[in-house]
Amino acid sequence: MSAPQPQHRIELAVHEGEGDLMLVNFGPQHPSTHGVFRIKLLLDGEIVVKAVPYPGFLHRGVEKLAERLTFTQLGPIVDKNDYIAPMTNEQAIFMAFEKLLGIEVPRRARWMRTLFAELQRVASHLLWLGTFALDLGGALGGGATVFLYCFRERELVLDLFEEVTGARFHYNTHTMGGNRHDLPAGYAQKVHATLDVIAARLVEYEHLTSTNRIFDVRTRGVGTISSELALGLGLTGPVLRASGVDHDLRRDAPYGAYDEVPVNVMTETSGDCLARALVRIREMTESIRLARALIDGMPEGPICGAKAIKTPTQFKAASGQVYVGIETPRGELGTYVIAGGNERGAAPYRLKIRPPSYHAMSVLPYVLPGHMVSDVVAILGSLDPIMGEVDR
Amino acid sequence: MAVDETARNYTHPLYDTLLAAPGLNVLAGSVDQLLTWGLKNSLWIFPMATSCCGIEFMAASASRVDLDRMGTIPRATPRQADVMVVAGTITVKMAPRVKKLWDQMPEPKWCVAMGSCAISGDFYRDLYPTVPGIDTVIPVDVYIPGCPPNPEAVMAGMLRLQEKIALVRQGLFPPHGSSKEDRPETAKMANPAVRRLLDPARDAAITAHQVTLAGTPSPDTVDSPPLPVDASTAGSADRDLEALLRDRFGVTEFPKDAPPLVDAAFHVELARTLRDRGFRQYVTCVASHWPGDPETFEVATVLRSTGSGSQLAAWRVRVAAGEPVDSLCGVFAGADWQEREQFDLVGLRFAGHPDLRRVMMPEDYVGHPLRRDFASDAPCAPWR
Repeated sequence: MSAPQPQHRIELAVHEGEGDLMLVNFGPQHPSTHGVFRIKLLLDGEIVVKAVPYPGFLHRGVEKLAERLTFTQLGPIVDKNDYIAPMTNEQAIFMAFEKLLGIEVPRRARWMRTLFAELQRVASHLLWLGTFALDLGGALGGGATVFLYCFRERELVLDLFEEVTGARFHYNTHTMGGNRHDLPAGYAQKVHATLDVIAARLVEYEHLTSTNRIFDVRTRGVGTISSELALGLGLTGPVLRASGVDHDLRRDAPYGAYDEVPVNVMTETSGDCLARALVRIREMTESIRLARALIDGMPEGPICGAKAIKTPTQFKAASGQVYVGIETPRGELGTYVIAGGNERGAAPYRLKIRPPSYHAMSVLPYVLPGHMVSDVVAILGSLDPIMGEVDR
Repeated sequence: MAVDETARNYTHPLYDTLLAAPGLNVLAGSVDQLLTWGLKNSLWIFPMATSCCGIEFMAASASRVDLDRMGTIPRATPRQADVMVVAGTITVKMAPRVKKLWDQMPEPKWCVAMGSCAISGDFYRDLYPTVPGIDTVIPVDVYIPGCPPNPEAVMAGMLRLQEKIALVRQGLFPPHGSSKEDRPETAKMANPAVRRLLDPARDAAITAHQVTLAGTPSPDTVDSPPLPVDASTAGSADRDLEALLRDRFGVTEFPKDAPPLVDAAFHVELARTLRDRGFRQYVTCVASHWPGDPETFEVATVLRSTGSGSQLAAWRVRVAAGEPVDSLCGVFAGADWQEREQFDLVGLRFAGHPDLRRVMMPEDYVGHPLRRDFASDAPCAPWR
């Protein structure tokens, strides 16, 4: 058994002047690439024959920057990687650092982090639904209707975060051993009120999208990813679950408060764009249920470890290599840290961030051939890529 | 050209005739006012959105703040736009594209730098791939500070742009669009504050200094206290993995704080064995550079089993500098992009990789930035 090979190995130059094949550049500046991403498409009429993706237009060198910053300084930096879900970025990197340094996180901080992660999942999937509807364009009243609706609800979640952290995003609220900001008084009522509004409107969106005939036609059977390919490519999150793999780190390798608040994992079997859309829409409902359970059962206590690390000399003791992966809205966000050996002390020797979107984008050469140009946009949107995370 | 002549950036032959005709300059003045009003209240925006600020820009044009009520509308094509809003970090790979898109916009046109990355590069300023502010590439009219700026700040910035347009058309403020020498905003282009863009010769001393600062440790000197064993990974599969490594791959040492070190010759065989044993998901591979004597490279590979009770399997291989590591592309399709990234950034070659090209940096980039001897503020090739 060998791994399936993508179809981009043949140089595009071979096909120049061959029949009616046409080379089309998709991106790097294109509203449907969700950022700056370039795909060379070789077309036969309107059918894609080959697709060669070119990431890297937003490569900002975060991993190099990490070599000269201390562990605690990296929190606000990684916020900018997956800028749709900064909460889970911070959680991922600090979980790795805490494991490296053997720091215990208080129970209340773990619950708060999990609450923020679930609210973030709702906000992230709302943004995905809005932009995905824009990608599908004319199918949904210009798409802008769903987009405007989803942003309206996303603002409500951002308001919840702003009340705790003071920022709409790029929160910088996680820190080594716990959280920086405690929940304000009366926060539970506000969370419930916000989730009531969103839960009611989610029903509307489901009618607007998944029961919409045009939505169905444009997504059903488009961009099918087999479970074997998804596993081999390292696809994670909703993309993997839509391909029929029942895998979710929140349930399978629990962290935070997920061992106390069980998660129902949403799966689909068909692996097409519709399946990915359905998985995300259902995950929003599930996240709302989890967020309610988390805010209701929020334990009392300190929000940061008693022995907080304050001086760089304490980091100097750190050495070893750890990998920690958590389930962000887009899948497994991993952090591999190599500590020790950096004479500048409190900085990681090597930090590697394993972004779920990077793997999701690597599926494009496998699935795009054979589809229409308009399907390229639908497939790209259904993968929910964030370029800040793909390129870092 | 002097400032007063370029104040009207709307020109038409008939316009000059009107101005010259006796008595008609009153009418021309009214027409001019009308044009100013029209110009500043129908700004079509080309969002050059690359990262986080792009999301806040979307939020600004969405339901709550509704930028559209000021007559702006986002246009996804430069050909029909008046304002380019540069929202997000611009890298050396992207900068030539931004310049090209800017050149495609018809006059009169304006540029708004939104957020600290577009203004100055922010904390990526000194890093190898980043342009330190979009005003080193194109002229900027309005800067909106913030990381990212709130939608309200975006609206304030657009109002400031409207004010500026009115002042420029009245001749009270120098325009950006006349000649390069007259633009105060682009003075930086001739005299950049950031040395690395102009002075590629400066690197030797600074690089040496940086290397001294960064230190040149050897992996053998790393000695550490044992870490608490993570409960979630201390299952039976872990012991199975240890037995497998010991019996079939001759591994004798199992450090508590790092994945076991395996002979590089067994790299592919181990990956295939683990895949057949249920570790079917490719997670990541991490190459790291260890200068010193001898200079080595390490590659850590992480696999995962899926479903309930998911387990990680990780191992390292170490090779001397210049030696390649066998590629896992034949076992896991996901190794393709990960190994390309490690090749691009760390400079380690993967033998048998079918498509080992740069993935993050431009194709003509020289060097491998994540090597330890690469200074973290090393000069990069200026954008072209």
